[in-house]
Amino acid sequence: MTKVTTLAEAVASIPSGAHVALSGFAITRCTMAFAREVIRQGIKGLTLSQCVGAMDSDMLVGGGAVKRLICGGGSLDRFGRLNCVNRGIEDGSLQAEEYSSLSVTFRYLAGSLGLPFIPIRSLQGSDLIRQIEERTGSDVANITDPFTGESWLVLKPLLPDVSVLVVHTADAEGNAWIMGPRWDNVEQAKASKRTIIIAERVVSTEMIRRYAERTVIPGLLVSHVVELPFSAHPTSVYREYDYDAKEIEKYVEATSTPESFKVYLDEYVYGVKDHWGYLEKIGGMQHLNALRADPILGY
Amino acid sequence: MDFDYTPSELMAVAGARGIKDREVVAVGLGLPVVASFLAKQTHAPNMTMLFELGVIDPEPVHAGVGLADPRVWYRAKVLSSFVDILGSILHKGRVDVGFLGGLETDQYGNLNTTLVGDPRGKFRHMVGSGGANDIASSAKRNILIMRHDARKLKKTISFVTSPGYVTGGDSRAKAGLSGGPSRVITDKAIFGFHPETKQMMLMSIHPGNTIEDVVGTMGFAPVVPQHVPYTEPPEKEQLRIIREVIDPRKMYMG
Repeated sequence: MTKVTTLAEAVASIPSGAHVALSGFAITRCTMAFAREVIRQGIKGLTLSQCVGAMDSDMLVGGGAVKRLICGGGSLDRFGRLNCVNRGIEDGSLQAEEYSSLSVTFRYLAGSLGLPFIPIRSLQGSDLIRQIEERTGSDVANITDPFTGESWLVLKPLLPDVSVLVVHTADAEGNAWIMGPRWDNVEQAKASKRTIIIAERVVSTEMIRRYAERTVIPGLLVSHVVELPFSAHPTSVYREYDYDAKEIEKYVEATSTPESFKVYLDEYVYGVKDHWGYLEKIGGMQHLNALRADPILGY
Repeated sequence: MDFDYTPSELMAVAGARGIKDREVVAVGLGLPVVASFLAKQTHAPNMTMLFELGVIDPEPVHAGVGLADPRVWYRAKVLSSFVDILGSILHKGRVDVGFLGGLETDQYGNLNTTLVGDPRGKFRHMVGSGGANDIASSAKRNILIMRHDARKLKKTISFVTSPGYVTGGDSRAKAGLSGGPSRVITDKAIFGFHPETKQMMLMSIHPGNTIEDVVGTMGFAPVVPQHVPYTEPPEKEQLRIIREVIDPRKMYMG
């Protein structure tokens, strides 16, 4: 069964207020084209989750699409902080629930296994746990290990409505390959009700069958498949293309105030019709070709 | 006194010396990356180096902008996931040393990477935990790397992102955690922790500094033993490796 569709159709399947898990990590494999389309379509009130807050979350928060963010901190690495997320936390307009990387992962893992909760050693003795207890009241608890009598902190599973993953290769059913580190992406997809795959390329199922050991997301989890090259731009996709340092710097500068970010959104999001228009806007094929990864280095 | 090394280089060397061969080391951003690569290329060739997102034993040839940069994954032996690294290796109890930096720390080695200011009033949000809280909670020991400044070595920190010895004594164990910070390396000195009170304790001062200078630029009074030696300066070969191999573009040590 083919699930191949356009980005616009896939994004339109997400109602305002949904819980969306995103595949980005800082400045790599971020769902940037997805974020731009969500903002263009005017979807609001989302809950976002990811292990480490990334550029995709930051853009969606800055674009006014997000009510709540569940993550383990985040940054744009040396390019800077998550200005939109931080501003939202500082002025109270964003409901942020901050964990650590592993505690968010464990919440997805519990969700992926259908478990009611998962014990963890992290967070104890920190202000993170105190703040989570204050803000959520019900997502963490303490239990006694029935076998040893030890006390354990336990976390509630995360069960996103949809996870959105930028991947390297998928077939029309959504069987997907991710090259390089996968951080929390596999657990995200398995914990979610459904997954939208945004693939650098769509290949035949015959091709997937020939290298099936690469398949980390089974198609049965997937509702939509979108073939969209350079969908993570200006962030990187390992072995496909490098991050675009100049465009990330431009973004960091633009997000320094709500006013300058509005100008950025007008130009790069509202000012273009779709992802193809965006790619033309930032310099087209000639510019993108210069970002292509060296096959040995992977960047 | 003139030195042929910078304080950052001495910190990286001191960090590297804190790693023994065959140990498993979880690495955070910045200087810890330099310290770990240095250890691996000198006295600890059999150490295993982990990046939280799913990277084991990379051999980068270009400096990266952070853990998300594929430059720092180059030639890795394993490229996997958070569950694989922070779960099956760290949470399982297989990490010997965690390497952490931060905005500020207190006398018990609690680390703040979340915010500056008053969390209930006006504050500036920074990066948060990432894997730092997980590493601080589950590594057998942690080495903290900090600038030596009263604004960073504080009596009370704004937010405890990653626990050290919590409120001292046995409070870390009572919070359900073993391990804890073993060393704090600054650009003026190296500290350990008092075995009972768990207060920060001066272990050595870097050449060119005095005890008064070290203690006078801190926001709390560390335990100062009667004899405090000088920190062993970097060797020529260690400096060469930092400058020519690990960080030729001065992205970490700039």
